[in-house]
Amino acid sequence: MDPRHRPILRRRLGVFRGLAWCLVALLVLIYAWLQLVRHSEFKQLAMQQAVKVRPIPAPRGLVLDRNGHRLVDNRRALHLVVQREDLPTKPEVITSLASALELDPAALARKIQSYRFAGKGRPLVLKENLDEAGIAIAERIRARYPFLSVEVAPRRVYLGDELAGHVLGYVGEVDEELMKVKPGIFRLGETIGKEGFEASGNDKLKGVDGQKRILVDQLGTEVANFGQNDAVTGRSLFLTLDAGLQKVAQDAMGEESGAVVVLDLRDGGVLAMYSSPSYDPNLFLNRLSQDMVDRYLANSVTRPMVNRATQGIYAPGSTFKLLVALAALERGIISPQTPIYCAGKKNFYGRDFRCDKPTGHGSLSMIQAIAQSCDVYFYELASRMDIDDIYATAEKYGLTERTGIDLPQEKRTRIPSRAWKRKAAPKDPKWYGGETISVGIGQGAVGVTPLGLARFYALLATKGKLLTPHLFYGFRDDQKNSLEAAPVPPMKDTPLDPRHWAILDEGLREVVQNGTAAANPFIREIAKGTPFSGKTGTAQVATFVDKAHYARQAKKLKDHALFAGYAPQEHPQIAFAVVVENAGFGSTAAAPIAAKVVKYWFADRLSNPLPPPRGKMVDPFAPQQSAPQEAPE
Amino acid sequence: MRERFRALDPRLLWVLLALIALGTLTLFSAGRQTPQATIWLRQSVWNLLGLTFMLLLATTDPRRIFRYSFASYLIGLAALAAVLVVGKKIGGSTRWFVIAGQTFQPSELMKWVTLLYVSQRLGSRNAEQVSRLELSGAVGLVVFPMLLIQRQPDLGMALSYLPILLIIPLMKGLRARWVVALLLLVGLGGFGAWKFVLKPYQKQRVMIFLDPSSDLQGKGYQVNQSRIAIGSGGLIGKGFTSGSQTQLNFLPVKTTDFAFSVWAEERGFLGVLLALGLFGLLLSRILDAARAAHTNAEAYFCAGAAGIFSLHLLVNVGMVAGALPNKGMVLPFFSAGGSSTLSFFLALGIIMGVLHRSRVK
Repeated sequence: MDPRHRPILRRRLGVFRGLAWCLVALLVLIYAWLQLVRHSEFKQLAMQQAVKVRPIPAPRGLVLDRNGHRLVDNRRALHLVVQREDLPTKPEVITSLASALELDPAALARKIQSYRFAGKGRPLVLKENLDEAGIAIAERIRARYPFLSVEVAPRRVYLGDELAGHVLGYVGEVDEELMKVKPGIFRLGETIGKEGFEASGNDKLKGVDGQKRILVDQLGTEVANFGQNDAVTGRSLFLTLDAGLQKVAQDAMGEESGAVVVLDLRDGGVLAMYSSPSYDPNLFLNRLSQDMVDRYLANSVTRPMVNRATQGIYAPGSTFKLLVALAALERGIISPQTPIYCAGKKNFYGRDFRCDKPTGHGSLSMIQAIAQSCDVYFYELASRMDIDDIYATAEKYGLTERTGIDLPQEKRTRIPSRAWKRKAAPKDPKWYGGETISVGIGQGAVGVTPLGLARFYALLATKGKLLTPHLFYGFRDDQKNSLEAAPVPPMKDTPLDPRHWAILDEGLREVVQNGTAAANPFIREIAKGTPFSGKTGTAQVATFVDKAHYARQAKKLKDHALFAGYAPQEHPQIAFAVVVENAGFGSTAAAPIAAKVVKYWFADRLSNPLPPPRGKMVDPFAPQQSAPQEAPE
Repeated sequence: MRERFRALDPRLLWVLLALIALGTLTLFSAGRQTPQATIWLRQSVWNLLGLTFMLLLATTDPRRIFRYSFASYLIGLAALAAVLVVGKKIGGSTRWFVIAGQTFQPSELMKWVTLLYVSQRLGSRNAEQVSRLELSGAVGLVVFPMLLIQRQPDLGMALSYLPILLIIPLMKGLRARWVVALLLLVGLGGFGAWKFVLKPYQKQRVMIFLDPSSDLQGKGYQVNQSRIAIGSGGLIGKGFTSGSQTQLNFLPVKTTDFAFSVWAEERGFLGVLLALGLFGLLLSRILDAARAAHTNAEAYFCAGAAGIFSLHLLVNVGMVAGALPNKGMVLPFFSAGGSSTLSFFLALGIIMGVLHRSRVK
């Protein structure tokens, strides 16, 4: 080495060494800044992303029929969710996430926005009820969007499918719209009953969500649990429904539209309530496909979402004649024996009103008139009364009020009166006498729900007791698997004169024994085994369904068939009402359905009960299903 | 055999062994919650292999090594050209040969070969006699492999060749006007590049560097998580294998680029002081070797090596703290990797040899 160069090189290397230590010192300063000065800030950030508070969704209570057969069960479901604290903020992230999930970006952005301002609570569900393919897709998406997570939550399974869709209803998520309509009641994302008993019994069925503090890794997977408040499962409960009878009603209705209601005369419990066409509540748990919307929600032709038993208003037809007879008896307008002559038609107010039988029934007493369903007899009774007299009687026997059943949005039966007309038709507020004549045979402005009709016949069966139809039977004691019966909703005694009652009871017996219903050999056959009472009805179509539609249909404007009554004839136990839309005569279309109900309840049920309802759905995550529960007593 | 071990400089050896111990502990902790739980074992094999090579080189006369520098340089260039053709493409760039299932990155070793050859060329002249032309030639010798590497592309690796050019101010000194001119050039170049050359995604990268929290889901995610890991470590750290950022996988690529964050999180500021102190001692000892060297070439090599180690230290440790852009540059003895580990040991072997010869004589 060049000796002259050596000292210079040494000096320069000394500078290098200085620079190297400066570099080390610089790095030390940077780390001191991060680790000493800003330590608490970063410590908090590290905690925030590793320690999470997650809600534990509580399963709702099970729903069982009166014999303990499961109608609504719970299964485990997996949802792809975003926890509240992980909601994405960047528009481009939301857009790309929406396209990955095949969602509408604008709708997703709105949803995220509303969840962000809704405070603590349930996570935002992006895809619900993942199946195996769905899980695979979700995992793939999660790799790109680590703020997503998969949540295990309970889900509902409706075991009878369409068996009792209208009665059970279904559950859904509290969305932004509901939060706007009813603020302060629910939390966003919470599961609540949306229809049927799930809705009306929501407070009974829902549990209390729990909460847990957990340690999560970068993928949001739970690594450790720092403690939790367990979710409290909702209480299981029994309905008054009898699944077997419900099945009979479903099968008997078949493809027809209409409703069947069967009431327990002891307490007003609903033994069966089937509205046809029914719907499958299971389909409402997932986001509905367009196909499903067309079939159910947007179907304005058969309107399957309407519970015809509580929301369908039908002209009662001849089944209303019992009330007219009762009004006439109570006002002393006619004695039961006084005959009225039927010539097939009669003129009132300058207009001919026809009887069903064009040749005329001849001279009839009240019992015979009920049995033969003579229209002229009841035109005559109506002509001697004021519409407000009929209204007053209806009011006295509870026909003008809602029955008070524990189902949402029950419709009120419509019994016309002068006051009603003034309100309903302000342009033509005057009540005409001819209108009263039509009401006399259950036509015109009269409209009843099948449930209201069944309740009126229950009143006749119990000699004047006004029941409150209800579905809630009682909670289940989960330890003993037994029924803790709920108090029976109030029954009102009405001042029904036993002498008047005897006439009506006799009339209804005659209908089945020798009258309009006896013409049907099937009815005669069953009535031989279990004598029952009832009244046929054939109502001209004035339905709640669009008439213009029927003009295009083959069945257009065919009459509605009705049958209402009670069984057995002596010491009755059940009351029922059957409405079959556009099916023709009450005796041929509706009465046989009632007869099947009677046959099952009093004969087949005891010797050969139907199996419990069973769902066709196979759930891959379901825990081992326990055997169906036995009857509580 | 004893003779051979005596060739190892004890002060450099202890620093080295301490750094290896720190790195192995870090990798043990970093690998635990990943599919590569045994990565610390693999890395230990590389370390042992490296130590063996180091021992061999330390007992070899540096002059014999310099004799092969030109041939090595040519072979290196050929390898860099070949890897562009037959190399394996990983993550969009072609940097690796695959030999018997092992990936090998020629640009790692070529860095030291280039340093070796440039040192040898410039060292054969007296500092006063070196012409501008020869200096320009030396710059060309460095830039040419850099261009080949940029074709892969691998900007971080190409830039790590630049410390070789430190040899020039070591020989000729540094004039103030040169420094000013260089700064002006960098400033104007940067402005011009921002205005006319850089593509939007490249600009975005610079913006993310300036504010990592502006893109938490994307490119800023890694650095942001690394800063959280380091900052949350505090003075004494969260304890060995107890760092939440590391063990819960919030920290990305923690066995390679972000290994130092693992150490900083679990061992805290005191651990960082220890590690950086050891690196300081390492650099210091390498510069000692440069001072003690018998020939110019040996001195230049040692000085260049110190420059390269410094750059790795600055860029990696600065990057994981968010103080420098996110450009992949490994940290010697901490980041897992075969090619880089072997290369560092080979360089240290030559430096050990220089120290040994200075003592023997």
